[in-house]
Amino acid sequence: MSSDSKPTLQPASGDEDRVPESTAEKPQAGHPRWKDLGFSLKRLLKNPLTIIGLTIILFFVFLAIFAPILAPPPRPTDPFLMPHKGWKIAPSPPSKDAPLGTLPSQYDILYGVIWGARSAFKIGVLVVMANMVMGIILGSLAGYFGGLIDEIIMRITDIFYAIPLLVMGMAMVVALGRGLTSITIVLIILGWPTYTRVIRSEVLVIRDMDYIQAARASGSSHLRILLKHVLPNSIFSVIIVGSMRIGITVLIAAALSFLGLGSDAGYADWGQMVSTCRNWIVGPADNRLGYWYVVFIPGFVIALFVLGWNLLGDAIRDVFDPKMRRR
Amino acid sequence: MEKLIETRELYTDFYTFEGVVKALNGVSVVVNQGETYGLVGESGCGKSVTVRSMMRIVQSPGKIVDGKILLFFREADRSKGIDILKRSETYMISMRGDDISMIFQEASTSLNPVMSIGYQVGESFYFHRLAQMLELTVKELEEEIPRAKFFLVKGWKRIQRGLFRRELGRLTRYSAEIDRIDEQLYQLEDQEDPQSVRKKVLLNRHRDRLREKDGLVQFVRRVPFLRRYYRRLDRTVKNQVVDLLRSLGVSNPDRIVDGHPHELSGGMQQRIVIAIALACHPIMLIADEPTSNLDVTIQAQIIDLIKTLKETTIASVLFITHDLGLVAEICDRASVMYCGDVCETADVKTIFHDPLHPYTKGLLESVPKAEQVETLSTIPGVVPNLVDPPSGCRFHPRCPHTMDICLETKPPTIEYAPGHYVACYLYMDNER
Amino acid sequence: MSMLNYVIRRLLFMILVLFGVSILVFGVMMLIPPGMRVSAYITHERIRPDQIDSMIELYGLRDPFPIQYVRWLGNIFRGDFGFSVTAESPVLEGFKLYFPTTLELVLYSAPLVILVGIWFGTVSAIHKDKPVDHGIRLFAIIGYSLPTFWLGLLLLMVFYGYLGVFPPGTLSNEGKDVVYSPEWIAITGLLTVDGILNWRWDIVWDALYHLILPTINLIILSSALIMRLMRSTMLEALGQDYIRTALAKGADRKTVYYKHARRNGLLPVVTISGILFAGLLAGMVITETIFTRKGIGWWMARAALQLDVPAIMFNVLFLGTVFVVVNLIVDLIYAAIDPRIRLG
Repeated sequence: MSSDSKPTLQPASGDEDRVPESTAEKPQAGHPRWKDLGFSLKRLLKNPLTIIGLTIILFFVFLAIFAPILAPPPRPTDPFLMPHKGWKIAPSPPSKDAPLGTLPSQYDILYGVIWGARSAFKIGVLVVMANMVMGIILGSLAGYFGGLIDEIIMRITDIFYAIPLLVMGMAMVVALGRGLTSITIVLIILGWPTYTRVIRSEVLVIRDMDYIQAARASGSSHLRILLKHVLPNSIFSVIIVGSMRIGITVLIAAALSFLGLGSDAGYADWGQMVSTCRNWIVGPADNRLGYWYVVFIPGFVIALFVLGWNLLGDAIRDVFDPKMRRR
Repeated sequence: MEKLIETRELYTDFYTFEGVVKALNGVSVVVNQGETYGLVGESGCGKSVTVRSMMRIVQSPGKIVDGKILLFFREADRSKGIDILKRSETYMISMRGDDISMIFQEASTSLNPVMSIGYQVGESFYFHRLAQMLELTVKELEEEIPRAKFFLVKGWKRIQRGLFRRELGRLTRYSAEIDRIDEQLYQLEDQEDPQSVRKKVLLNRHRDRLREKDGLVQFVRRVPFLRRYYRRLDRTVKNQVVDLLRSLGVSNPDRIVDGHPHELSGGMQQRIVIAIALACHPIMLIADEPTSNLDVTIQAQIIDLIKTLKETTIASVLFITHDLGLVAEICDRASVMYCGDVCETADVKTIFHDPLHPYTKGLLESVPKAEQVETLSTIPGVVPNLVDPPSGCRFHPRCPHTMDICLETKPPTIEYAPGHYVACYLYMDNER
Repeated sequence: MSMLNYVIRRLLFMILVLFGVSILVFGVMMLIPPGMRVSAYITHERIRPDQIDSMIELYGLRDPFPIQYVRWLGNIFRGDFGFSVTAESPVLEGFKLYFPTTLELVLYSAPLVILVGIWFGTVSAIHKDKPVDHGIRLFAIIGYSLPTFWLGLLLLMVFYGYLGVFPPGTLSNEGKDVVYSPEWIAITGLLTVDGILNWRWDIVWDALYHLILPTINLIILSSALIMRLMRSTMLEALGQDYIRTALAKGADRKTVYYKHARRNGLLPVVTISGILFAGLLAGMVITETIFTRKGIGWWMARAALQLDVPAIMFNVLFLGTVFVVVNLIVDLIYAAIDPRIRLG
């Protein structure tokens, strides 16, 4: 690069001009500094999709928190047991007693929807948080120290990636005994590789940055460097991934429940509720869509929940993704 | 000196998230035939935006909001020029790469990594010289057909020749028609009465619709096996490309033509970019800081190349740079730009020996000289944000001679001496 | 030479990964008490309770993990994958019976999912921020959020329940009669292909008819992924400098979008397509259960519920192998089409 030999126009001007003609790269090809957080949050909230996503999620939070008030459990010790008025097998359409109708054997759908929100949140948030922690620890170790540790961790990640999620998940849940707890455990065990890879690639980039070298040169211990420098800069990518994964996690959990591996019949578990409708897809000849509420409503609730998280996750990614920040 | 291209009071804005960036604030530039014109200024002063506006390839969210861009390319346009801001995009597409070409700063990213060099250079031929290419191919086939022994081969070549001839015929007929339409449009150029305006719109629309291809040719192009016939044309184009590369001093052009950009060195890549630009012998070449990222030695080579080409193939060059030394070396005339304004325009000698505008003076003084012993002189202040630029003359916050009027309105450009223009209130009284 | 080198290294790596998978799945299966695992060895009707213990001893179901694992590996290398209770036949036989059904659906839906995704993604990128773009993105994100099982059930309710078209299953009853009759020669197991080979076009149509709804289901659910990826890669390509060069050359918009930008944008999509294919295969569990198609997914759902250990282990291994092999193929294809990549 010719710098000193030829006379060039470099007066003492400070900032780069804001005209997009010159692509001024930020010094780190990474994520916004924490002080940009305010700007990013404002942009986040301006996006209409974020608002919709947040509204949906808050709606479900409301349902989950106020479940005991909105839908008082018939048996306080076992609130997830859905109430049922009578034992008639065929589902009943929406009425005053059951505003959203009932499932086969008269379980109240509305009740199931409200209390199911609790399970959904529990599973989704728990699994994702646990996976984030696992991912951060393993990913940082692999990325920062490299060498044998990296190899081992990455091979294990590859092995987990190769395993078919649903099939293995099913087998594991059955082996551990059915139920939502087993599902949670199984999803935690099977879900960590994605986060590990993400963190690892972030750490790899940061590890070679000048200020890390400077910290090492001034005698900081590895742990200190990890905690103080590496982690805060790689956290953003995990948050992005995590927010986008809550939706998928809940979907898989619901799928497992649907297959009969979650709660037993009669319990407020959205996936399980959907599975009950399988015999009622076709109504009587004169009203073939007669049981639409059983087929439609529980699944719609799942879709809505997941949609809310996906919208939020998408918006977060749009705002925090360094490649898409301009404009 | 005959005018070649002129912009008059060009205003270009960028509508970004942070606000409206008023990038060009009434830029007027005149490039004459046969000269090398320099556009000088710091990063972000609007040089690139100006030339991109000239070619109407301003990247979104930018828009040209006011002004005129006049071309005087053809003999017939001598008197008043064509305002290309009023022409259709189709017109511009046919002009880019053919009449005006542009080369850019970073050669390595300017080339498409997944396409072969030959294809990328040859694309120019496909866009603008299709008729010639078809003619050449037909001619070659004419010679080959009598010599072909095997009857299947002979038949295949006959089919190729026939299809190419069809395409050629249609092209020739339509280009004649397009020329006629262009002539009519030129006649109606200045007339703004509603009838003329409507006629112009209809003519433009008709012109756009003429680009369709021959039906049979299109059909064959889709048939999986038959469409290989087009490869014959590809071969002709490739040969042309090889010749072109050789003439530009690229060694082993026949091997390079099949290779990919990442296999070449920086200097070689820049030559390819130049090859793409010159393939169709443009009337004017715009070079947007083509050497800023290269080694000094490579830089010298490329500059020499451009100088040679200026004498042989290209008539005029518009050269953008922030390097005053380069301006002194190759430009005949130059404009100095600051924040979307043209401060001063003159021939190069005058700019260096008799600068008028305070900014020009400041720039020249800030260049360190060999015998300098004191601290380097600088222009105080910072380049302003163009979302909210300074009022009046955009340089006024940093100018040592600011007067009250400088804050009120933008100084008009006056001709201080023949061919020497400056936009500064300091020289208002000396106007001729 | 380095290409061969690369392939060999990848193959060795594959074997390593598959070993890991097998250990993992075997370990999980060992969590199941021997009493339940012994059902894999019961090939006839009734077993007396006291015989169970002797059978457990006989098959070494209480031996330490490494011994059982090695024994199992030994069996595998001899081609003995055990007996599947749910398939009521040796595992390999069950697989041969069920796999073609799954394969058929995947073969028809995967290319469509990819093509739909690419097409909509391209359109979305070209018309960025215009209503079309927003519409497509909305559609994508909704499709992404739908539970697999729900959409299928809804489709069945509307089309089959209400309109009476597109029933579940693989064939109509008449079709089944034809296929199970002795005149039918099943060469590939794929109904559409065999239909052509047997020159029974009515069977071909019957099979396709039953494939329509599950395919639509899969397209809505899975093309979203490709759509979003295609959109972002196209946009990234469009922001590159070579687009600027193309414009300066005098390229028209169509050429710029479809020749210059899309070619670059397609590259990452190739990689994802491989993963998509493997993912579709593995995710068949739900789709087949809902549409009552007797493929390996449907088999697995039952196998898991009944703790059919040999079947589960075989299918996990199989799907894992598919995943790893597909990844290798995809990487090779990617290296072949991207001139910047040279393996080694």
